[in-house]
Amino acid sequence: MALSVRSWVANEGGKHLVLVLWLGANTLLFMRTFLMYYCGQQYHYLHQMLGLGLCISRASASVLNLNCSLVLLPMCRSLLTYLRGTHTVRSRKARRLLDKSKTFHVACGVAICVFSVVHVSAHLVNVVNFSVRYSEEFPSLNVARYRGEDPRLIILTTVPGITGILLVLILFLMFTASSYCIRVSNYEIFWYTHNLFIVFYIILIVHVVGGALKYQTNFEAHPPGCLRANQTNPDKTEEESGQAVGDGWSCREEARFQPNSPETWLWVSGPLCLYCAERLYRYIRSYSPVTIVAVVRHPCDVIELRMLKKDFKAHPGQYIVLNCPSVSSFENHPFTLTACPTEKKETLGIHLRVVGDWTERFTELLLPDPGAESEILPMVQQRRYPKLYVDGPFGSSSQEVFNYEVSLCVAGGIGVTPFACVLHALLDGWRHFRLRRLYFVWVCRELQSFYWFAELLCALHHKLWKENRPDYLNLQLFVSQTDGLQNISEERYRPLSSRLMIGRPRWKLLFEEIGRTNKHKRVGVFCCGPKGISRTLHGLCNSDRYSGTTFEFNKESFS
Amino acid sequence: MGKIEWAMWANEQALAAGLILLTGGIVGVAGQFRDWEFAAYAIAAGVFVCLLEYPRGKRNKGTSVERTGQYCFTVCVKSFGPLTRNYYVRAFLHAAICVPGGFILATVLGCVCLGIASLIYLAAAIRGEQWEPILPRKESARKPVGESIKLPPQNPPPRPPAEMRRKRAEDLEAAAYVNPITVTANDD
Repeated sequence: MALSVRSWVANEGGKHLVLVLWLGANTLLFMRTFLMYYCGQQYHYLHQMLGLGLCISRASASVLNLNCSLVLLPMCRSLLTYLRGTHTVRSRKARRLLDKSKTFHVACGVAICVFSVVHVSAHLVNVVNFSVRYSEEFPSLNVARYRGEDPRLIILTTVPGITGILLVLILFLMFTASSYCIRVSNYEIFWYTHNLFIVFYIILIVHVVGGALKYQTNFEAHPPGCLRANQTNPDKTEEESGQAVGDGWSCREEARFQPNSPETWLWVSGPLCLYCAERLYRYIRSYSPVTIVAVVRHPCDVIELRMLKKDFKAHPGQYIVLNCPSVSSFENHPFTLTACPTEKKETLGIHLRVVGDWTERFTELLLPDPGAESEILPMVQQRRYPKLYVDGPFGSSSQEVFNYEVSLCVAGGIGVTPFACVLHALLDGWRHFRLRRLYFVWVCRELQSFYWFAELLCALHHKLWKENRPDYLNLQLFVSQTDGLQNISEERYRPLSSRLMIGRPRWKLLFEEIGRTNKHKRVGVFCCGPKGISRTLHGLCNSDRYSGTTFEFNKESFS
Repeated sequence: MGKIEWAMWANEQALAAGLILLTGGIVGVAGQFRDWEFAAYAIAAGVFVCLLEYPRGKRNKGTSVERTGQYCFTVCVKSFGPLTRNYYVRAFLHAAICVPGGFILATVLGCVCLGIASLIYLAAAIRGEQWEPILPRKESARKPVGESIKLPPQNPPPRPPAEMRRKRAEDLEAAAYVNPITVTANDD
């Protein structure tokens, strides 16, 4: 699979451009602050005392300011959903960048950790220098109270010192709980430690208030270095001291120092207020509980849930976040919508797979064990559903399926849920979308899984046949477990059984076929499934195509 | 809700703290500050903690993700038996290791981080967690195929007795037998 420049630029170009711009902004800020402290006249005496540690610590602090403000923006999910939907952002390329918001957040987070290490090391050196090079000439410049004060004492008795230690500890807790392993196994640890960010930001704003670093306010009247010229130095010759005194180097007054004004709050307060507003908005929006209308059990541990919520509007491909206080008060779990509310049907539906302890307990509350049911009372009267809160909807990359002329949707197992919503929308009306052809590939481990959406697929197939567009939907079903005789035997599911194939799909052949039949078009590839499949598809999208077709890769991930 | 495995988080923290201790120790020795012997100790302690914490333990439920190349470390750590299996031992060991780091400035941060990791290990130990090594899965995971499938069949397939098989001209109706699977003409 040779890499093609055109395909690579179409798929990866936008992301890498943003990366380059971000790195450029960081580098520029670092260099500018570094040079200001290295060469600036107002910091001359401070630089003399502290050396390189001053410049590095201040430069890394300014980079930290930038990243601490940027790191919050990708997490304003409602804002991003608003930007993505209703074509507020015109260009599809720009909307694709919104898919990578979590990656950008992680990049800023890593930058914060790296530059914190640099900042802390440089400040530790500064503290040692404050102690060792205590200045008798300019007593107001000092942070230490006497020469040779223990550096650890300096840290513990100043506001920046203590707040700095607390910040490092919080960052340590947040960073160690954010690894992929912990997020997959114990999401609660990640969630609770990450919510310490608010404490982090408050302490950050207090951290810079200490005013430990001072700049000289009167460097026109007192050019730095002029005090030494006025002092008589027995070692210097007459010539040298005569040269040093001339050229306007006379001191008119004593050097005066003032602490730097804190500017972190300028950087950070905007995004912080925006994020807090967003959280408040989400809380208000999810305040009223939803009414559960129906619960259906499907094969292979899947439950379909139908709910009613007032003033809820969603587009196909979006997801919601469920919170059930009877199961767990603080846990929120995302689920893709499989049915959006329309004029004909107002309920919203999700399909959830029972995999972990939250879903198990939730299912127990919804559907009691078949054996334990009482036969006296009818089911409807006995059923008391738990209270459920729904937050959302939030946007995802699968919303773009309708904005390509040709789309390829690849689903693995329960990953079919975003596409199920797309198919529901097509069932209601397919003519007004830009989409002209949809290739739908669904790979499941077990045959029974196809029954989740068998009705929907057959209904859409029949509708398209009746309206004389049989080539609109190109359906391919694969069962990856190859042992045993497997067939969908029901007569009404004939369209599915004739399109069912045993074994794994051959992606390269599929891409070649799509390329040949859709020459010189832009095909949107949407993948929601295991990592192996998405990696293969991503590689194929970036590789050489002989028919002039560009494949744009969009991935939806559930973790 | 549900069981949180604290030991996994403590493992990440201890590994990070070991690295911080190591870095602080290197800086302390390189700068030749006063009491640089503590920094030299910190280097040794940091390396030891990293080696001890590098192999990830096995999860109780679900798949465990290994760190790259951790198998040889797993074997070494496993050989210490109950000393490394028990998290109380690890908690107190880390608490003891971190104390000398607090004496000089360069290693203070490593000391505090390792202290936090030791507290989380204590919490894990109180909840009864244990370190289980992740060993490579044995090949017997595949379904065992019955032995009889490998031998060719010894007997011919069962057929009705010879009298029934022989077609009798006088009794065509009885001689015919019904096909168990319906036979249809080929459409393609």
